Amino acid sequence: MELAFSGWSGILILAMYGLIMLGVGVVTFLRNRHIHQSLDEYYLGGRGLGVMVLFFTFFATQYSGNTVVGYPPSAYRMGYEYLVSVPFFITIIMAYLLFAPRLYRLGKKYRLVTPAQWFEKRYKSKAVTILASLLMLYGLGNYLLEQLVAIGQGVSGLTGGTIPYQVGVVFFVIIMVIYGWLGGMRSVAYTDTMQGIALLFGVFMLLIGSIIYFGGLPTSADYMQAYSPEKLGVPDGPGVMNWFSLLVMIGIGAAVYPHAIQRIFAAKSERTLKRSFSRMAWMPFLTAGVVFIIGIIGINAYPGLTEGESEQLVGMMASAVASQNVIFYWAMVLLFGGVIAAIVSTADSVLLTFSSIISNDLYGSYINPDASEKKKLLVGKLVGLVAVGILILVAWFPPGTLYQIFVLKFELLVQIAPGLIIGLYWNRLHTKAVFAGMLVGTIIASSMTLFGLSYFGIANGLWGLLVNVGICVVGSLFMTVSVVEEKEAKQVIGM
Amino acid sequence: MGSEKREPIKNPRIWIILGILLAMITPWYFPDSFGEILVYGVPLWAVIIILSSLLLSAYLSYVLKYHWMLEEDEEEAEQKGAK
Repeated sequence: MELAFSGWSGILILAMYGLIMLGVGVVTFLRNRHIHQSLDEYYLGGRGLGVMVLFFTFFATQYSGNTVVGYPPSAYRMGYEYLVSVPFFITIIMAYLLFAPRLYRLGKKYRLVTPAQWFEKRYKSKAVTILASLLMLYGLGNYLLEQLVAIGQGVSGLTGGTIPYQVGVVFFVIIMVIYGWLGGMRSVAYTDTMQGIALLFGVFMLLIGSIIYFGGLPTSADYMQAYSPEKLGVPDGPGVMNWFSLLVMIGIGAAVYPHAIQRIFAAKSERTLKRSFSRMAWMPFLTAGVVFIIGIIGINAYPGLTEGESEQLVGMMASAVASQNVIFYWAMVLLFGGVIAAIVSTADSVLLTFSSIISNDLYGSYINPDASEKKKLLVGKLVGLVAVGILILVAWFPPGTLYQIFVLKFELLVQIAPGLIIGLYWNRLHTKAVFAGMLVGTIIASSMTLFGLSYFGIANGLWGLLVNVGICVVGSLFMTVSVVEEKEAKQVIGM
Repeated sequence: MGSEKREPIKNPRIWIILGILLAMITPWYFPDSFGEILVYGVPLWAVIIILSSLLLSAYLSYVLKYHWMLEEDEEEAEQKGAK
């Protein structure tokens, strides 16, 4: 990306962000020295996150740098049909209402640390827990890979190539690992707060600057009426279908991200969790809504861009705004620094959850259950580090073939939803049906993605999910759950 | 509110209303002319979607506040006890 404000100011701002993140890590470490003996303390911040911090850390799991840089180009190309990006963030909160109240309660009761541990508690089946853990690890790994690539591109863009891609990735990965190791969930959540504020401030400055410099929505609407009225029009049949499928899939999918679920366990109290969700319900207007307007303004500001060129839209608009005056100049530098910081904040959450599943579920439950918590933590941290190392190599030397296997994220992560959610309420849900549903759903969703199949404009993950739910329900109706098992399930759910 | 336990999933009324709101935030019910009428540069159908989305956020906040009460009373009693 070519930015008018790239260069030394970019380097300065990135160094500043990096130092603040490290500072947060060190302060957290000094104030919480006891956390390195306990999984609860390290991975969940001692289950004590307050409203603001919890809110920003949820915010970081849903909104990334990609929201700011990637959504305006979509709005630019699709016009008002991309307005769906506002309500789909609201349906995430709707999906939380399905399971968060009960899961918070059970998390507290059984001191759950990871989503996989709930599977273990509910189904008492090694096969189900391991399959769910592997799906989460694989999905999280690819998610992390995407963030690492984005960090590299962002740094090299903001510094005008002065800092090459590879150096950018390594610099931020080292910082992220250091503050993560120093303070665990607390560090991650505090830095999320700093990163979220920087991003929000920058996005608003870009909106104000764009309106002053390029004109607001009426100007853009005049242009669309004259040259591309379809961008103002009501979506047609397939458009509506796609809209609805996004509402459902993003709603459920983003709510069951393992790192999002883990934040439910980290809440200080039910009231804290409710308040954070309530704030999240309004955020789509301030984030997705604002970047949507920026994309629509772009239609008039830079007409006729090709698809590839339109991907650079935010960079072009920010460059133009930055050249207005010194305030906007620094606001745009802050914004792009904030975009990179936001990507780091998404990456650190993912890495922490990745390590926790290793520590608590794979190593801690099956490989060496007798290990001390300190040792489990250490194994989780080290395996996380090795995984990041491998992902960095993949990012640098992308394999020519089979690249698709690194794209699967969401399609896999969403397959844990039926076992997780239905299992909270239905005592008769059969363990084997859950396993079969999860496996078949995964195979369907991933093979559709790998072979590029698509039906009725409905997303691949959603097809897998539908079959998965079908197998869970029908399978449980046909297979009998023994009285003992049903009683046990009832006891675990206990409501 | 008392010490009564409330869980959103057990209240069918909530899900009927959420279903209606979900239908309202999907643009299937607009005539084509709504794409031509502009309100401050925003097509009328998009204005209605935005208003419906605001309504959904407001309703979710209401449900979160008043229809989710599983632990709160106990947690607050514990907190008071701890002080």
